Amino acid sequence: MPQCNGNKKMVQYCLFYIALSFFSHLTFANMANTQKSTERWQQIEHHARLQTVYFHAWGGDPQINSYIQWVAKQVNEKYQINLVHVKLADTSEAVSRVLAEKAADNNTQGSVDLIWINGANFATMSEHSLLLSQWANYLPNFKYTDPNNNPAVTYDFGIATNGMESPWGQSSLTFYYDSATIKTPPETLNALLKWSENNPGRFSYPKPSDYLGMSFLKYALTVLHQHSSDEIKNQLNQVVNAKTKDKILAPLWQFLDTLHPTLWRKGSHFMQSSAQMRRLIDDTELSLAFTFSSAEIPAAVARYDLIPSIRSYAMADGSLSNTHFVAIPYNASHAPGAQVVANFLLSPAAQAYKQRPEVWGDKTVLIQHTLAPKQQALFTHHNTHPSALPIDAIKRTLNEPHPSWVKAIQMGWQARYGVSQ
Amino acid sequence: MTVASKIEPLVYKSIPPSRYSWFARIVKLSPQLLLTLLIIPVLAGLVFVLLPAFGWAPALDQTQLSFDGFIAISNTPGITHMIALSMFSGLVSTFIAFLITIMILAVFFTSSWLHTIERLLSPILVIPHAAAAIAVGFLIAPSGMISRLISPWLSQWEMAPNGIFPYDPYGISIIIGLTLKELPFLLLMALGVLAQPELGKKLRSQHKVALNLGYCPLTAFFKVVLPSLYPLMRLPILAVLAYASASVEMPLILGPNTPATLAVTIMQWFNDVDLNLRIQASAGAILQLIITCILLLIWLGGEKLCHVFFRDSLTNGVRDHGGAFWQKITVVITTFVISFILLSLVGLILWSFAGFWRFPNALPEQFVLLHYTQALMQMGDALFNTVFIGISATFLAIAITLLCLEAEQLDNKPLSRITSLIIYLPLLVPSIAFLFGLVWLQQLIAHQAAFFSVVFSHLLFVLPYVFLSLASSYRRLDPRFSQVAASLGAPPSKVFFQIKLPQLFAPILIAAALGLAISFGQYLPTLLASGGRVSTITTEAVALANGASRRTSAVYAIIQMVLPFIGFIIAWVLPKYFFKSARA
Repeated sequence: MPQCNGNKKMVQYCLFYIALSFFSHLTFANMANTQKSTERWQQIEHHARLQTVYFHAWGGDPQINSYIQWVAKQVNEKYQINLVHVKLADTSEAVSRVLAEKAADNNTQGSVDLIWINGANFATMSEHSLLLSQWANYLPNFKYTDPNNNPAVTYDFGIATNGMESPWGQSSLTFYYDSATIKTPPETLNALLKWSENNPGRFSYPKPSDYLGMSFLKYALTVLHQHSSDEIKNQLNQVVNAKTKDKILAPLWQFLDTLHPTLWRKGSHFMQSSAQMRRLIDDTELSLAFTFSSAEIPAAVARYDLIPSIRSYAMADGSLSNTHFVAIPYNASHAPGAQVVANFLLSPAAQAYKQRPEVWGDKTVLIQHTLAPKQQALFTHHNTHPSALPIDAIKRTLNEPHPSWVKAIQMGWQARYGVSQ
Repeated sequence: MTVASKIEPLVYKSIPPSRYSWFARIVKLSPQLLLTLLIIPVLAGLVFVLLPAFGWAPALDQTQLSFDGFIAISNTPGITHMIALSMFSGLVSTFIAFLITIMILAVFFTSSWLHTIERLLSPILVIPHAAAAIAVGFLIAPSGMISRLISPWLSQWEMAPNGIFPYDPYGISIIIGLTLKELPFLLLMALGVLAQPELGKKLRSQHKVALNLGYCPLTAFFKVVLPSLYPLMRLPILAVLAYASASVEMPLILGPNTPATLAVTIMQWFNDVDLNLRIQASAGAILQLIITCILLLIWLGGEKLCHVFFRDSLTNGVRDHGGAFWQKITVVITTFVISFILLSLVGLILWSFAGFWRFPNALPEQFVLLHYTQALMQMGDALFNTVFIGISATFLAIAITLLCLEAEQLDNKPLSRITSLIIYLPLLVPSIAFLFGLVWLQQLIAHQAAFFSVVFSHLLFVLPYVFLSLASSYRRLDPRFSQVAASLGAPPSKVFFQIKLPQLFAPILIAAALGLAISFGQYLPTLLASGGRVSTITTEAVALANGASRRTSAVYAIIQMVLPFIGFIIAWVLPKYFFKSARA
């Protein structure tokens, strides 16, 4: 449970859940419930047969796309479900689609059955009641995530999921650099600034409308407040307060004001996407970059998309971490099929296969001690690629701030840096 | 139309109405069908953008009319910048493309080079905008082909330098991309006009007369040919201008983003997680519409000015305006344009086979097939969808077009000016302004029929091109064949199917290839009408251009180019084969 390290609030959640499980869950009703839920699940599996499930998921990474194809083959063999991967350039496209359907009073025959989601997109969909709730927590494989002791699977950027989302994987902000041009990469935010001053034009971040660009700003904001009072730190985990917003964001703007003139294109143009950042590293326009899925780096080298001299590492002052989920829109045409797919995604076999570096390398959401020894064995891996992030490289994890900060940061950024002079 | 249909053409008078009624009825209805197919989606789409723009969006629980969307836009940082960028890049690219077209025509009007240039440039026409943008980006980036060719021996660059292209704040990269893409379109449109037998012959002979009177070829072209040619090029030019001012793919891939152009920003608002931005986006779509209208008016105003200024110089008798100099300049520019295009294509092909390729190497370290094998393994569905949708939309478009043109001949009266203008409607109204509205409408009517929606949306854009491509051939058909057949007692249906269509075999195939090419290249209509459920090569290519790998996007861009080429090769080879067998 890396999420619990170093954050008081998460520890509180843990304690709260442990307490809850002691006082309310230790009842005999539980056994009756188990039987009832098995029957319920069998019914869902029955309805799911022969359904075509449209899985709307970002399609920009060939490795992830192949993994989803593998999943499609598996669920077809196991449950006769026809899983179709709808490749999105941006998850918000699917959000728009569901909204358009709601606008047109299409409340039962939606075109989106399953959606890969987290953070701000989830916050929006849940705010507009666009998601089916109370299903994820009843999935048979959900128990392997140890939900009672693991807030990482029941909270998405600090918002309770209420069974609207089933966890799929975990990711952390990982940095990578061209070892042919950099001998020792900067390991803290401050060192990064110094390094960029000495190597002008060799670093930048995607425009914060991009998920990864926003993540960099959140990492910076969190690190800049590492020595602030607990009161201020706590505010990052809560809905933005209009009164204290400016004070909390001030250090970030101050930092960016110094950083921007040293960036690629002198900070007057920002990359459109994280993938563009990877291309610019390959072009040697940049020497240092970062990603949320560390496994894509060795995979990209294997596909010639990155030069072999690339090395990955984690920042010493902390790595921003979060869980990504799958959710079902309220009007999904094939909700039973979608639930069966979500359950399969949570199965130890699917999670272990996903975690293999040559497949996707996405960290599992399952907790080892809930698994049988045979299932645990699925997760042991071997040989690592020189460009891959060394195992145990992540020393500290940083929690995502509350999703409302995304908008606050974005608005502030847009007003300050959105129009170049 | 009804008045006209009362006056029956002479040749059919002897035929009893019962013998051709079913055919005639379909034919007579087809112009109305054409208009309905084009007007309703565009207008309805506009209405469904207009309503949210003024605050009416029940899905967001907003039913009060307000100007909030427009107020939000006026408060957007950099909005004037965005508008200026859209207007500047749209106007300048169209103007440069027009200028180069005219210069090429003027200089090579009597030369055999004209057709060589046409043959070199026309493939560009079928390259989708996204693929062209990717190719141009490969060339002009600081680590691009040009920079690699001069490094490090000339430039001393061991690492990619800091540069400003693409993504330059003035939109020059966008202008380069758009100009290269629009130039072949305008040139082919002009050559199409000149290919009309009567007009072409007349202009060429007038040009010859001017030469004999001692005018230098360039001056002769400007004084004699251009005044007759330009009015026939006006609509294509306006369509280019409208497109350029509101295009999404080029500015998205080549343009700046602090801020981006208005159209790109609107698309991002529409796609933003914050659903309330949709009101603002709809208002933006209306603003885009106004801007496009203003640009069209500016162009038309410019026309008037030119008319006033140059009217007298047409008849002032001056024989030469530095013709030799301009001739040289044009040759240089044409060579530059063509080598620019060729170099970007070479870059694209190299990337699609490239292993590791570190700057400043001009060639990759190794050539691999990996990117093709991986892409081909994954693109099966997308390929099938692309072809299936393309064929469906093109087939419908050709059927409707042929029936309309037949109606024109049966009625013995050309389509009205308004009808001809409406055929251009989907090209003149920026798609960003009505497509989002159209999606809401399609949701109301047929929310499960994604395939149907996509075919229908493609039809909107395929139809105008197919019509333009077929109309001149159809109108040029020698009427004597039909008259002979009719006088021998053949009903109009028989004349249509057995006399006219076989003669039109080659033009129909060309129109089909063009229709397919247009359908293959559609990005926004496919994405929006299918809700992303139907993926085509183009939607995958744009998703990949913003994603993963430069090598994979090169592969997709090449497949995007190859598909329409296959169509054109078939259209070129089939008639030869058939005519050969007919001759033998």
